[in-house]
Amino acid sequence: MEWLTWFSRPENTKPLALIIFFVTFIGILIYVYGSRKRGQKLESYRDIPFLDEQDVNKDKQ
Amino acid sequence: MNFNFKHEWVETNVGLMAVLTMLAISVGGLVEIAPLFLIDKTVEKVEGVRPYTPLEQRGRDIYMREGCYTCHSQMIRPFRDEKLRYGHYSLAAESQYDHPFQWGSKRTGPDLARVGGKYSNEWHVQHLVAPRSMVEVSVMPNYPWLLTTKLDISDIEARMRALRKVGVPYSLSRAEYDANVTKFGETVAPQLHIPDARKNLVEQANFGNYDGDPSGISEMDALVAYLQVLGTMVDFSKYSDDAFVDVR
Amino acid sequence: MATDTPSGAEPAEQYNFDIVKKFAVMSLVWAVVGMCVGVWIASELAWPFLNFDSPYFSFGRFRPVHTSAVIFGFGGSALFATSYYVVQRTCQARLFPDGLASFTFWGWQTVIVLAAVSYVLGYTQAREYAEMEWPIDILIEAVWVSYLIVFVGTIMRRKQPHIYVANWFYLGFILATALLHTFNNLAMPIDLFSMKSYSLFAGTQDAMTQWWYGHNAVGFFLTAAFLGMMYYFVPKHAGRPIYSYRLSIVHFWALCFMYMWVGGHHLHWTALPDWTSSLAAAFSILLLMPSWGGMINGIMTLSGAWDKLRTDPVLRFMIVALSFYGMSTFEGPMMSLKEVNALSHYTDWTVGHVHSGALGWVAMISFGSLYHMMPRLWNTRMWSPRMIEWHFWLATIGIVLYIVAMWISGITQGLMWRSFDEFGNLQYSFAESVAKMMPFYAMRAIGGMFFLTGTAMMALNMFMTIRQGQRENAAAVAGKLAHA
Repeated sequence: MEWLTWFSRPENTKPLALIIFFVTFIGILIYVYGSRKRGQKLESYRDIPFLDEQDVNKDKQ
Repeated sequence: MNFNFKHEWVETNVGLMAVLTMLAISVGGLVEIAPLFLIDKTVEKVEGVRPYTPLEQRGRDIYMREGCYTCHSQMIRPFRDEKLRYGHYSLAAESQYDHPFQWGSKRTGPDLARVGGKYSNEWHVQHLVAPRSMVEVSVMPNYPWLLTTKLDISDIEARMRALRKVGVPYSLSRAEYDANVTKFGETVAPQLHIPDARKNLVEQANFGNYDGDPSGISEMDALVAYLQVLGTMVDFSKYSDDAFVDVR
Repeated sequence: MATDTPSGAEPAEQYNFDIVKKFAVMSLVWAVVGMCVGVWIASELAWPFLNFDSPYFSFGRFRPVHTSAVIFGFGGSALFATSYYVVQRTCQARLFPDGLASFTFWGWQTVIVLAAVSYVLGYTQAREYAEMEWPIDILIEAVWVSYLIVFVGTIMRRKQPHIYVANWFYLGFILATALLHTFNNLAMPIDLFSMKSYSLFAGTQDAMTQWWYGHNAVGFFLTAAFLGMMYYFVPKHAGRPIYSYRLSIVHFWALCFMYMWVGGHHLHWTALPDWTSSLAAAFSILLLMPSWGGMINGIMTLSGAWDKLRTDPVLRFMIVALSFYGMSTFEGPMMSLKEVNALSHYTDWTVGHVHSGALGWVAMISFGSLYHMMPRLWNTRMWSPRMIEWHFWLATIGIVLYIVAMWISGITQGLMWRSFDEFGNLQYSFAESVAKMMPFYAMRAIGGMFFLTGTAMMALNMFMTIRQGQRENAAAVAGKLAHA
């Protein structure tokens, strides 16, 4: 259990936390922008707000 | 690294989204607030800071009721101009019995953390009733009703008991009383004893006669008693200039 | 079915628009009330006789009435209205339990009324933006849990497999507000039958808890939730999908994570340990990026539709809102720098900053969204498009007057307090700094009056639009009966 005390020191946990958060952030970035195919799929969800008006638009004049 | 994670999982599952969102929003508060309760360096050890007497506490209640914190701070920062204007910078220890804190966020009027003893009781009474008669350019509201409203002391014990439950060392039993004698001394401890609260309150008000009217106890008595104790508990002449630096 | 609805509203049974209408109306009622009180208290600072020597109208008790009425009354009701509208339309599902949704309406309105009355009578927790005493807090908790159930319940019923990004922001806001409200209001009542309570925490810990709450009331109540509004109404009104869905993913998670760290920047140079406020400042600077992510996403959605800005005042509300959002999320991190904060803290600069966010961003995006919703809810056109135009200009001029007044007065205060004469003594007394504020306090009150006038016009416009809608729909029904 000795190794746990390593975490109780701010000078250790600060860089550790920074690395964890930074890697997570880069991970999200790579995931989101890394692949063109995935990008196109994600961007297709932009149109959701316009889906519920299809039948209504036909009625409009 | 890539185990086929899809953000769509999150976008199609409201439960998963809620859990992840909770995780994301919990970290900041945990990291910043939890240690304040655990690290004993958060609050300095200084002599002199004591809980408020019943009369002062009632004054503090009125201070909160009238929303004084919307225009006055009680937190002096460690700058040269603030030291000259208001006095020694505020210590965490000085508000350790303040439920809730009243540090404030705005100085439409001056800081009050060390206003105690700076002005006479008469000045305070006149200033609270008609601020512009004392400070011509003041924009403070008049508080004439403080002088005419009798202080409600019927629930003083209940108030102190509630404060005791959240950690203020007001005493109920003999043992607690004795502990207070050790901690705060012979003269302070009786003031913190809940069974004697009403007697103490009346005595302090009559003896101090803060509102200049000996006939009864007004809300003004309580508020002025509170203002006059602000910032006076710690004797800074006993400490060197850099005594508190490493706590900051 | 759809042929019964001439101008685009859905048939009544598909969506619960009744609850949306109620919240929309109340949000404007509270806007007018809250801003009236705001103008009043601003005027009290310029002309103190307006306190009338009465406990009930004195600044200290009245100021929380203003903040609660505009944040929770106007802002809160606008959020309920738009979130119920957006979640139904993007999920293509009816609100889940109608009864519970109705409870959130009556419960929330009761909260605002009780809060305002109790402050005036002197019941307060004396914690900024959380002044409601414990019985009201418990009611808020009940309403909020119901809100969560209704919102999540509706999402679970969705016909659309995906949850649209606007709903993420609304969900984040509901969860964060629940968390903040619960922990910041932990208090010990002095008696079960008394309104009075004392905070569970004291001093430094209490201060940090309160500003963790206080800044995230800004971060989640007044930012994340209104970004949700932006993510639906801006694309919808411009008729163009949001600029980048991927950007919205990144900035949603970054915003949720980072906002919760920044509250400590309200406590720079105080008795709060240095590491806490420095950490908060670091995150405040970083927060600029996700904030601007949202702004860029909104503004780029409108790019290519710039020509519409000339003809469509509703779109203009939205673009101005996004511009102010960008501006105040730049100003905020700057003010969180310890050196800048040393000057700006405790001054009117903070008040100006809050209002550039609250009037410029929160109110303007709400106005835009409400103007978009109203004709669709009541099945008609806006009664007076000219009035929308007027409202836009009054509001914009009002904000500019307000912010400029507070910048000048805030920086003047900060500089006067810290200036020394040649002997090293303080150059100005505090009273001298107060005297210098008078013209700016008057200017601020006038800016507020401009803004209030615009809001009152909107309320009138809405009232007339509703009447017009009712008349038209009644005529349509009568016409159909005659044909039959």
